[in-house]
Amino acid sequence: MFNRPLGQAGLASGAGFGVKGKGKRNLAATVMLTSLVDTFSVLVIYLLVNFSTTGELLYMSEGMELPAAAKAIELERNVVVKVEKDKLYIEEEEIPTTQLVKRLLDVKQNWEKYYPDTEFTGAMTIQADRRQAYDLLSHVIQAGGHAGYSDINFAVIRK
Amino acid sequence: MFGSKKTKKAVNTEVDLVAFISLLSVCICFLLLTTIWIQIGSMNVKQAVGGQAASGKPKPEMWVVMDKEGELAFKLRHAPRKFVKTFGNSKIAGVDGKPDFVELANYLGKLTGAYSDLSMALIRPAEKTPFEDIIQVMDVFREQGIQDLGVTPL
Repeated sequence: MFNRPLGQAGLASGAGFGVKGKGKRNLAATVMLTSLVDTFSVLVIYLLVNFSTTGELLYMSEGMELPAAAKAIELERNVVVKVEKDKLYIEEEEIPTTQLVKRLLDVKQNWEKYYPDTEFTGAMTIQADRRQAYDLLSHVIQAGGHAGYSDINFAVIRK
Repeated sequence: MFGSKKTKKAVNTEVDLVAFISLLSVCICFLLLTTIWIQIGSMNVKQAVGGQAASGKPKPEMWVVMDKEGELAFKLRHAPRKFVKTFGNSKIAGVDGKPDFVELANYLGKLTGAYSDLSMALIRPAEKTPFEDIIQVMDVFREQGIQDLGVTPL
């Protein structure tokens, strides 16, 4: 009864409306499973290609917009100093501006405690909103220089 | 062919597509939930003051001073005199308070086309220069082949 696809059902011919002399036509439609599987496979491949194995390295606050850059390189895990609304944070802990050098030195001296299984490379990531004025960023760069972080990475969104 | 009346057994097997579709559906759900859509990267820079090791012959470098009105002033140092004369003291006026990135790309394209040894630029932003403008200027430099970038603290 349900062996024929809808295209052969012949609704226009009056099948299923009591017309004598003709058999009941099939109204069930067959799903094209092959094309469905193809679509799913393409989707899975696309998502696997875009899948990031490095994990989430930065915590993005609400309203924070990073600047965009085309020639950005891959972000690596190191000390993150966040500049948000004229406040400074090291790994989400608010730091007074005057205490930044001291706190960065503390992180450097106790590196194993804060970042186990990694080595200190002198790199620091600065995460700031795209509208942030340079004066506070300059303060962070200087503090990093004083504390031995000469390699500065600005967090950006890849274009 | 030889008069045998035995019928041939069908050798075709059907793949169970329903199970396969279920597996793919689970994969798609998992990947949609865990994929990070925003690709975060980093722009690597060095501190322009005190960051370089002293060496015998100084490398050619470009100093860029960013004005708060978006004007860019260039100074070429440790380069042959003919390039310093042509490109050494140039300025690009800002557009609507922002640097003119198109003009900057043109200028750097001409400079690197004529003098390919230049690979270092040191950027000095103004106090109120937005972070976005600094990053865009760096991006244009990298796009034009100048890879070693530094920023000067105020």
